[in-house]
This record gives sequence, C-alpha cells and structure tokens, in this order.
Amino acid sequence: MANRVVITGAGVLSALGDTPETLYAGLCAGQNGVGTLSHPDLPTDGYAGVEISGFSPQTYLGDKNFRPLDRTSHLAASAVHLALSDSGWTEDKLREQIVGLVLGTMFCSVRTIAEFDRRAITLGPSYAKPLDFANTVINAASGQTAIWHHLRGINSTISTGLSSGLQAIAYATDLIHAGRADRLVAGGVEELCFESVYGFGRAGLLAGDGKPSENAVAIPFDARRNGFVPGEAAAFLMLETLDAARARGSKILAEIKGYGTAYDPTWGRTAKTAAVIEQAMTGALRDARRTPSDIRCLSASANGSVNMDAFEAEAIARLFAQAGDLPVTSIKTALGESMGASGALQIVAMTQTMQNGTLPGIHGLTHIPENFPLTASCAENRHGDFPIALINAINYDGHCCSLVLEK
Amino acid sequence: MDRVVITGVGLITSIGEGRQTFWENLLAGRSGISEVQSFDTSAYSVHRGGEIKRFAPEKYVRNQSPGELGRSSQLAIAASYLALADAGMDPERLDPVMTGVSMGTTSGEPNQVERFNDALVAQEPERIGPEFIGRYPCHRIAGYVAGEFGLTGCNMMIPAACAAGNYAMAYAFDAIRAGRADVMLAGGADAFSRITYTGFARLFAIAPEKCQPFALNRKGMMPGEGAGILVLESLANAQNRNAPIYAEVAGYGLSCDAFHMTGGHPQGDGAARAMRQALTSSGLTPEEVDYISAHGTGTKSNDQHETVAVKKVFADAAYRTPISSIKSMIGHTMGAASAIESVVCALAISTSRIPPTINLDEPDPECDLDYVPNVAREHTVRVAMNNAYAFGGTNASLILRKFEG
Repeated sequence: MANRVVITGAGVLSALGDTPETLYAGLCAGQNGVGTLSHPDLPTDGYAGVEISGFSPQTYLGDKNFRPLDRTSHLAASAVHLALSDSGWTEDKLREQIVGLVLGTMFCSVRTIAEFDRRAITLGPSYAKPLDFANTVINAASGQTAIWHHLRGINSTISTGLSSGLQAIAYATDLIHAGRADRLVAGGVEELCFESVYGFGRAGLLAGDGKPSENAVAIPFDARRNGFVPGEAAAFLMLETLDAARARGSKILAEIKGYGTAYDPTWGRTAKTAAVIEQAMTGALRDARRTPSDIRCLSASANGSVNMDAFEAEAIARLFAQAGDLPVTSIKTALGESMGASGALQIVAMTQTMQNGTLPGIHGLTHIPENFPLTASCAENRHGDFPIALINAINYDGHCCSLVLEK
Repeated sequence: MDRVVITGVGLITSIGEGRQTFWENLLAGRSGISEVQSFDTSAYSVHRGGEIKRFAPEKYVRNQSPGELGRSSQLAIAASYLALADAGMDPERLDPVMTGVSMGTTSGEPNQVERFNDALVAQEPERIGPEFIGRYPCHRIAGYVAGEFGLTGCNMMIPAACAAGNYAMAYAFDAIRAGRADVMLAGGADAFSRITYTGFARLFAIAPEKCQPFALNRKGMMPGEGAGILVLESLANAQNRNAPIYAEVAGYGLSCDAFHMTGGHPQGDGAARAMRQALTSSGLTPEEVDYISAHGTGTKSNDQHETVAVKKVFADAAYRTPISSIKSMIGHTMGAASAIESVVCALAISTSRIPPTINLDEPDPECDLDYVPNVAREHTVRVAMNNAYAFGGTNASLILRKFEG
C-alpha cells in the first residue's frame, strides 16, 4: 500500500493577500487584483497585470541580506516560509530532519537572465554581475530557497509552462508515494516582469492589446474573452505522508488522491487538444480511483484565452456529461494567469473551499457560450459540501495536468 | 514494480553524433574543444569552448520546421531520433499515450533571450515576434520532442541546472515504475550560449586552453553544448520486442547542500548523501561499484570537493574504483552533461571499457584517486555510478547496472 499524501500547511503570496484565508475571502468577495503595470521607458508600460504590490521579503524572512536573491527567489523563499510555519516546521526542526523542495516555475526569473545579458552587451562582458549569474539558472529559486530554509532533501524544479505548479505538486506526491521522500514542500512561483509580459503580448496571448480597456476581457469561459491578464504569485504546500502527519499531531488540510498528465503534441492548435485535456482528467480519476460522479467541483485552468478555455470546456462537458450540474470555477478573473504558480494557488483556494463550504464563483462571467458545461450559477458563489475536487492546470502549448484533491 | 532498462542511446556532441562515433572518439581521448565561433569573444579573456561546429538540424527534424526551433530543442530532437534508431524503434510507430518524454536543461533556450535583447538594445522591440514566447520557455524542449513524434504521454521538463540530466533520468525511471509510461525518452540538452559563457567568464571559471579535471594545474571548466537521450523502457516492454539491453537503471539519490549557490559543500555533505541514497535504493554497497562517472568540471573546488565526497562514501574502496570525467574532452554540456554521462555509464557496462580523463598530466595530491588518466581502460563494469552537481547546491547520483535476467 502506497503512502497516503496529505497537505499539512500552505503558504501563499498573492495580490489578494498573503494567507490562504485572506486569499479565499477576497475570492469569495469578488475582489480583483488586476492593476496597471508601471514599466517606464518599456513597451509594456500601462499594460494590465496582477502584481503583489508592496511585497517586501523582510516581512516574512526577517532582517537579513536579501541581495543575492532576485524577486522570484524572494517570493519563493517567503511563501515557503509561510507554508513551513503554517505546518509547524521551525528552523530547529529543519536542522534535525530532512525536507525537500519541488518548485514549479515557467521562467524562474527571465528578468534576471535578460538583465544579466543586457549589461554584458551594452557595457561589456566584464560588467555583467557574477552574483546575478547564479540566478540565471532556471533552478535558482529552488536553490536559493533551499539555502534560506536549510532544505537538504530532493531539490527539483519543474517547468511545464502554466501547469508547472500543479505538476510540481503531482511529482512531489509521486516521490512520497514511492517512498523517495517523507516530507516535501511543493508549489509554484512566478514573478511578473517586462520580458514575459512583452513576450506574451507579441504572441497575441494577452487580453485585448495588453492594456486595460473595455475591449480587453480576461474572464474565464466568457463569450467576450480575448486573452489573459498576466499575474504573479507564489503558493507552496507542505506535503507529508498521512502517518508522519498523524505522528506529529499535525493538522491536515486535504489529501492528494491522484493525478493525471497528458501532452498535446499539436500545441493547442487543433481539435485534438480537448481530447488530450480529457486524457489528463481521466488519468487523474483513474489514479485516484474515482469516477466523474464522485467529483463535487472543478477548479478550471481557464484564464480568458479564446481557444484554450473552449477546449477545456469541451473536455469537461464530455467527461462530466453524466455528472449533472458540476460546479466549475476559475480563480483567474481575480488573480490573472500567474503561470507557474497558478495550479498551486488553485489548490490553496480549494482547501479553503473544502473547509468553509463556499466555492467562489467566476466573477464577471455574464456571457456563457451555449455549448459550455456551465450554468449561470457558476458566476456566483456556491454553498455546500465539496469533499472531492478536480484541479486543472493546462498550458496553452501542450502540457495538461489534472489532480484530485479530497477533504 | 517493473524493472527499467536502457535499450537505446542518442548523442549530439562536439566529438560526434551517434553512439558509435561518440564512443570511439571518447575512448580514443579526442577533444571537442575549439575556438568559439557562435559569438564574438574578443571582449573576453577566454575564447575556447565545446561548440558543436557542424550540426545540421534539417538532417533530423522531419515533422516540424527546424528553423522554428531553438537550438537546444534541435539538439534534443536529433539525439532522440538517434536513440530511437539505436533502440530499434520506429519513430512512426511509438505508442502515443504510453511513450513519455523527460528532459533536463540548465538554461533552456538562452539564445532566444539573446535575440530578444539584441532587438531591444537596437531599440527595435517590434522585431521581437511571437517566436520569443513560442521558443524560449524551457518546457518547449520536451514539447518539441513530443511534437516531433506525436506523443501525448507524460511530458516533463526539469531545469535542475547541471544535474538536470540525472534528475530527468530519475523522473523517467519512476514514471515507468509507477506504470505511467512504458517507454521514456529521457535525457538533457543545452545549447552554447553567450549568457552562459559570460557568466562562467565572470566567475573566472573558464580554462584558457583545455579542461583538465583532477590535474594539479587545472585552470577551470570549459563551457560546452550537446544533447544526450536515452530510451528507457520497462523490462516487459523490452523483452516483448526482444530488444538488446545496455544496462538496467538500479536506483538514484537526489539531495541539496542548502549551502552555496555556485560552490559545492567543502565536506561534500549533499554529494555524499546523494551517493549513499543511490546505493541504498539500488541495494548495493560501495564495494560493488566498478566505475564512477565524475561530475569533474575541472575547477579547483569542484574536483577537490568531489574527491572528498567520494572518499566519504567509499572509504578504502574509493582508491580501487576507477573514476573519470569526460568533461575533459567535450567540456561541460550543462543540462545535457549527466545525460551524456549516463550514456557513458551504460556503454562502459555493455563494452567493458572506461573512457579516460584526458589532459591529466600532473596529479593533484589532493585528488589522489584513480581518475583513469589519459588512456581508456578495459575493465569489467557491472555497476556504474553517475554523479552530477549543480548550481543551487543540487546533487544527483544515478546507478546503472549490468542487466542480468
């Protein structure tokens, strides 16, 4: 019998707050973190984005030397600190026992990488900063966070685009199941920066022309949607075996029952995409030994993208055709598309839903396409018992991950 | 739980493409180090590296337009084709659901950031098109490989820096054991890059002429590029199709020093833990290891710390176990390094030959183990350990053993 994997703590940094409770309260209240980016002298000035304004690592990590860390690492180390403390792990305990880290991120810090290179090409290679070079590797945030918190176990970075965070949690679950680790912190982080925002804009993935306007609609599943708003966030979970959690008398937020992944080799460009998303969800149900009718609500990956939201809706409609009115939600009206952090954020929000009995609605959703498996009530908060949930995280160019979470 | 075996290997390196050429050149101690040509190094104090000079992606990439892919992705696809052919698998007939991809990299497609910056610095940001976001994020490497072969199975990208190849191998091993895949294309790829070169140059870590792991006068590492892909499959799958087996994946260990971003732990703490875990999970003792493929970058500190760590785990057996570093020949291929070195371990097992550490003229008294200096050696290898260490303090040790039914 494989080890059961439970969540014993959560840490979150988001535009709606830095605790699972404030994040959840914000989602339930229909708050919105979308703001306007101030990028003086850059083409993304005035773009819409979800930033964690006023974030300062001192708040979470104390008065230490933060210079070697960039924003992505600050966010990761701070959110991991919150997850560890929420789960009752102290500095002393981390020196006694080995804890590992599986960190999901799409870019780590493409800002650090690009700025390092720009100094070299504008001023000459000898002006590139050696300290920054250490942060140009894509596992920099997991390395920096491990150093900060003395995490000596497995130290892995997972990068599968918008599904990185969920995929990291899924991988960590497998590692614990297989007995390769007893305790892992897992989750995702992404900072918002010019390079990624501009790249998304040039690829035509942002709502409208990237700037806030009436013509930019990033409401998941809404018929008017025309792209996403990029966001930043960090969300991490403490994962342990059920036995270990019980032995130390820890609280248990939820259990990870199983997951499924699939890849769309047509990169979200063909009708095959929906079938691949369904393959991931079916895999998750099989892994968790559940049927579609067991699932009581679904946290969708949908972020306002024209094609991907439609493909996900089609896959949900097919798989849950017999399941009646399945409550479907998305956190991305409020939080935007926080890339590598999204899936982990969705899990944190869902653990709150399971404890409090309210599933936040898809705020702003007013125009539901006819063939989507959604009812008008999806726009509203729903109250009830949500003991089993499916979480989706789907990248626009192929990676799909789906995970079953239980109370 | 199913056993996992290696049935095919594919390589694109500075000393040749494909198993046979690579292995012959490696055993002959040939160097792939040359003057850097992909960018202007006149403002640098060093000018050499392990570039692949004559790589033609169009020779390999069939189902996608090679020019639309980043170089790391091109290298990974080419090595994947070679690995599949080596395994006797028809790339057109792979099971799309039960064949997965697990890739490691250090920097993904850094050349795409360089292009982005060239346009930006020239004040022509409009030159940056959809291709930046289409090609740059590192998951595209695993994605393009899956796209080339139409694979919908598990697809993983692990950018665990210079230990990434081993991390990707470990993931593939577990995915097959857990029944998530029957076959995995596992390995790593990294392209030569101005960013990487600049970084190591600023750390004063690049050797001026040659890479000399474990030598007294070693002057640093040598940035390189390449791809190494292995076909991992469940034993049942391999036996069903009567595939020849190079080696079996026995186990692995992963750890973190949690000590320093760019330097190893002086007492080899994390490295030793990774090796011990790898041995424990394989059910093996240090005495049973016949060959160690070293991380062996050629920097003063790495080679010394690594020697300390090996002694810590192997005690007296450390002096009886041949260790070599192929980075002496192809330089440090970053995220591809430990994947290529996994191939080396598999071939050492299947051919009973160990590639040398070249340029090892004068031994360093602090590095006093058997590094197979300068000349390849005939040696029966039943068990091989592949060590990899990375920025972030990340360590990974993988153990392969001779397949015995």
